[in-house]
Amino acid sequence: MNDLAFFLRLFKPHSLWLVGGVMLALITAFATITLLTLSGWFISASAIAGLGGDVLLFNFMLPAAQIRALAITRTLGRYGERLATHEATFRVLTEIRVWFFAQLIPLALGRLSEARSGDLLSHMTADIDALDALYLRLLAPAIVAALGVTAVTVFLYAYDPFISFTTGCLLLIASVAVPWLFNQLGRDGAENVVTLAASLRLRQLELLQGMTDLLANQAYARFAQRFIKNSERLIETEADNNRLTALSSALTLLLSQLALLVAVILVGLAYQHDELSGANIAIVIFCVLAAFELVQPLPQAMQMLAKTQTAAQRVRHLATLTPTIQMASQTSALPNRYDLRLDGVSFRYSEQSNWVLKNLSLTMPQGTKIGIIGASGSGKTTLLQLLTRHYDPEHGVVLLGNTPINQLNHDKLLSCFGVLSQRSQLFAASIKENLLIAKPHATVNELKLAINFAGLTEFIARLPEGMNTWVGESGVKVSGGEARRIALARLHLKNAPILLLDEPTEGLDEQTEREVLGALAGFAKNKTLIMVTHRTVGLELVDVVYGMEQGFLVKTFINSLN
Amino acid sequence: MHPDDNQRYFDQHQAREKICARWLKKQSKTVRKSILLTALAGIANGIAVIIQAGLLANILSALIIDNATLKPLIPLLAGLVVVFIFRSFCVYAQQVTGFQAGASIRTALRQQLTDTFAVLGSAALKNQQSGALAAVTLEQVDALAPYFSRYLPQHYIVGLLPFIMIAVVMPINWLVGCILLFTAPLIPLFMILVGMGASSTQRSQFLALTRMSGYFLDRLQGLATLKLFGQAEQELKNIHKVADGFREKTMAVLRIAFLSSAVLEFFSAVAVALVAVYVGLILLGQIHFTFAPPISFKIALFVLLLAPEFFIPLRQLAIYYHDKAAALGAADAILTILEQVEKTNVGWVSDSVTQQSKSLIEFNNVSKSYDQRQVLTDINLNIHQGEKIALIGASGAGKTTLLNLLSGFETATEGSIWLNGQALNRNHALQNMAYIGQSSYLFYGSIYDNIALANPHTTAQQIQTAAKLAGVTEFSEQLADGLQTLIGERGYGLSGGQQQRIALARAFLKNADIIILDEPTANLDKETKTCLLVVIKQLFNDKTLIIASHDAEVIEGMDRQIVLQHGRLA
Repeated sequence: MNDLAFFLRLFKPHSLWLVGGVMLALITAFATITLLTLSGWFISASAIAGLGGDVLLFNFMLPAAQIRALAITRTLGRYGERLATHEATFRVLTEIRVWFFAQLIPLALGRLSEARSGDLLSHMTADIDALDALYLRLLAPAIVAALGVTAVTVFLYAYDPFISFTTGCLLLIASVAVPWLFNQLGRDGAENVVTLAASLRLRQLELLQGMTDLLANQAYARFAQRFIKNSERLIETEADNNRLTALSSALTLLLSQLALLVAVILVGLAYQHDELSGANIAIVIFCVLAAFELVQPLPQAMQMLAKTQTAAQRVRHLATLTPTIQMASQTSALPNRYDLRLDGVSFRYSEQSNWVLKNLSLTMPQGTKIGIIGASGSGKTTLLQLLTRHYDPEHGVVLLGNTPINQLNHDKLLSCFGVLSQRSQLFAASIKENLLIAKPHATVNELKLAINFAGLTEFIARLPEGMNTWVGESGVKVSGGEARRIALARLHLKNAPILLLDEPTEGLDEQTEREVLGALAGFAKNKTLIMVTHRTVGLELVDVVYGMEQGFLVKTFINSLN
Repeated sequence: MHPDDNQRYFDQHQAREKICARWLKKQSKTVRKSILLTALAGIANGIAVIIQAGLLANILSALIIDNATLKPLIPLLAGLVVVFIFRSFCVYAQQVTGFQAGASIRTALRQQLTDTFAVLGSAALKNQQSGALAAVTLEQVDALAPYFSRYLPQHYIVGLLPFIMIAVVMPINWLVGCILLFTAPLIPLFMILVGMGASSTQRSQFLALTRMSGYFLDRLQGLATLKLFGQAEQELKNIHKVADGFREKTMAVLRIAFLSSAVLEFFSAVAVALVAVYVGLILLGQIHFTFAPPISFKIALFVLLLAPEFFIPLRQLAIYYHDKAAALGAADAILTILEQVEKTNVGWVSDSVTQQSKSLIEFNNVSKSYDQRQVLTDINLNIHQGEKIALIGASGAGKTTLLNLLSGFETATEGSIWLNGQALNRNHALQNMAYIGQSSYLFYGSIYDNIALANPHTTAQQIQTAAKLAGVTEFSEQLADGLQTLIGERGYGLSGGQQQRIALARAFLKNADIIILDEPTANLDKETKTCLLVVIKQLFNDKTLIIASHDAEVIEGMDRQIVLQHGRLA
């Protein structure tokens, strides 16, 4: 329930729409009940008047006009209510999607590295979609039903207290007890639908993104079978839920009919004791009939409440994860100099795991160029990630120009680094757009220079659409080497004062490797450079080389070439 | 847009809609029984409503007009209870059997779609984002269900129930019967008018949905990159734009739906009012048609109770009409995928075709073209058991296409390919071959499971051996959990070389006769490359090895070179 309340708060900016929707719903409900009741009375009264011969005294013009007005109000009201409530809901859902993405941003480095993107996609689409029920199917109908049921009971009291009491009880059963029952019965099924649908999406994405390897290893049929099994389990669960929904529809219908029957018997008795006039019989009966329309949507809404709850919980869980780093409440301005210093830095991923870095100290005045060499798993990449604050060290401090980096605004800190990581992410967008990520307002000339720097000029010239060629998942296939060059071009465009290169030439053939290293040498001339590698290629770029072994740094040699 | 283009678009659109409608009809044949049962439950409910109205009218008239006591009414009241229970049962049955119709179609279609993906292979699907394709197999397949579970049964109900009601009312009061008879067609008529634009609106909503899924997946996978470049906050604007586009399209669909149901509600209210006014005035004795039948309170009540019920199935059909629009939109997306099979011409030769051949693999006058573009021309080639072949050529020379033909991922436009004297098809080919592409996909799971991909029943000992030979243990031993280390989707956390080693271990375990490697060293530095080549040689010493590459070091180590130039053998 906490999760639902949490999301209700996100509805707040649109409260005008939401309140408007409920108001319209109330007007519609009022019109519906009054319309039915008035019509019932009108017909009975006409009949009685006709039979009694009081025709001339009977004013049929006024109620007929009222009935017309009510019919129009009901139709327009319902139309307006639906528009308003849906518009409100979908506006809120859009906001929640954006909100969710915004929550992920501080988690992107570090915390999210273990999350599966297919899961995140499910959160951002299906789970957030499921939150629509919160207002549309739960809150709005519940308010309308509560007010409507009270009003009808009070109205009937004026005619016959006993009928009012009995109808009130039946309405209470239909609006509270039955929904509660179906909420209990439906909980598991509603929860399972959410998780099964999410795992179905994961399996589908796996089938699609890993297709070639699955086919080549004759594992596609096996994985497809798992997908279909999952789909069958989902549909079976939905079938169970549907059976329950059908049961609740049947039960609600039965209950409303029963109320009608009870009303007929009671008005019959009351009439015979002269407590109720003939025309009023119709009023009472039609009023009871109409009141049950109000409670009809409640059992189903409550049955699927757990679905909304589970979805809300899933979405919120990720969003409430704390980043792996502590954000400073007050941030200092960026220092003028980019001297880097690590002071007694120790780090491990969790308290259970081994130390990755142990009491590490290192001073790099602006413009220093160092290389760190070590086997994979020795903690080289982790060291770079402490600088960009994927994580904070457990002990010790990292300083940029004498300011501890945890006192700087994270985005400002990141603007000081040009990072070339082992994986180069391309977006489903044009090459140009992929480059502009590094510098949104880059000039044509800057783009050209960057492309040239990365050795992409020829590759782009070969493409019929040049820089506007789509790459990434839905674009032309780009080899690993080409992706890496695009990342290099981004590095050039960003032109940050400190370069962090993680295996910068991995994925490039020898000739390109030489070209890139040559270009990097010129580019890095006035910059601080930290290069991490498990081999010796490219070390001519740096002045000092450290070896990293089991979390310790050892100065290995000073580059005599420079 | 030129007016003629507009017209052509419209014609195409109409033609497309017809194709989709025909396909939906074909699908419905498989679940005919469920659909008919659902309709039957609906019709039974409708008949019970008539009986209920009759009983109620009798009871109320006895109470109000005849001042009867309750006692003689007990049989009628008991009848009412029976009708109530029966109706509840009908409502239950209608919903349950209806779901069944949708359910079996959804399962069948998901199966068909996943099979189609496999037939098409990644080559044909590469222009589509996987997030978007997943939205088709998940959301859009789901969107078909209401068409079978609600719309089609309602069609049958509307075909019968209103006529039954008119048949009951006619003998009692022909004038009311006529009112119903003449106002009823207004509803389907208007429904069609409103529904005309509905399916194209629906289609654009689906498009917005698939676009949103594809876009979000792409940005989620690249979120860390965006953050490092300080662009993540900027991206929020795009996310908002895409999400809001989806909202707009959804609301466009809903606006039509709400408008049509409002109009229909209004129409039926007018019709009911017409009946009520007539009945009321007759009862009051205000009008005296010489030809109008006299009416008693009982009959007046009966027709008044029945009139709104008369329009309910029609209004339901109008509401469900949007299920049809949704189904047509979804059918379009699903068919677009299914139809690609014909377009890409993946017709496989059956197993039975054989020929005498001494060589392991034989290409006879093989050509391959995509639309107008000729990629391979007149390839004649014999590959013998145990050969180590380097396939050389500049990028774009057709190396990958040749390998795809060889492994059955694609089929030749002309000529024939033979494997062990049998016409090559993909199943046959992949049984005999291990194929490693330029980058291998690693699944969410342990390194161990990833190696065991080709054969989940492999023993731990065999996996250990394969991992050791392929050099996987070199890095896995440095990890805390060794081979049981979890690696994320797309092999998160492993370098290109490490991923390739896992792929090699997979291929080794498969123990196929023919090993095909597409530029296995393209993404590797020199040292890793040299190491990997040693591993490849050791692992596949006794196999037929075909490596596409333009790397001198790779080529050196092979016995034979096949050179491709502009799609021809040089």
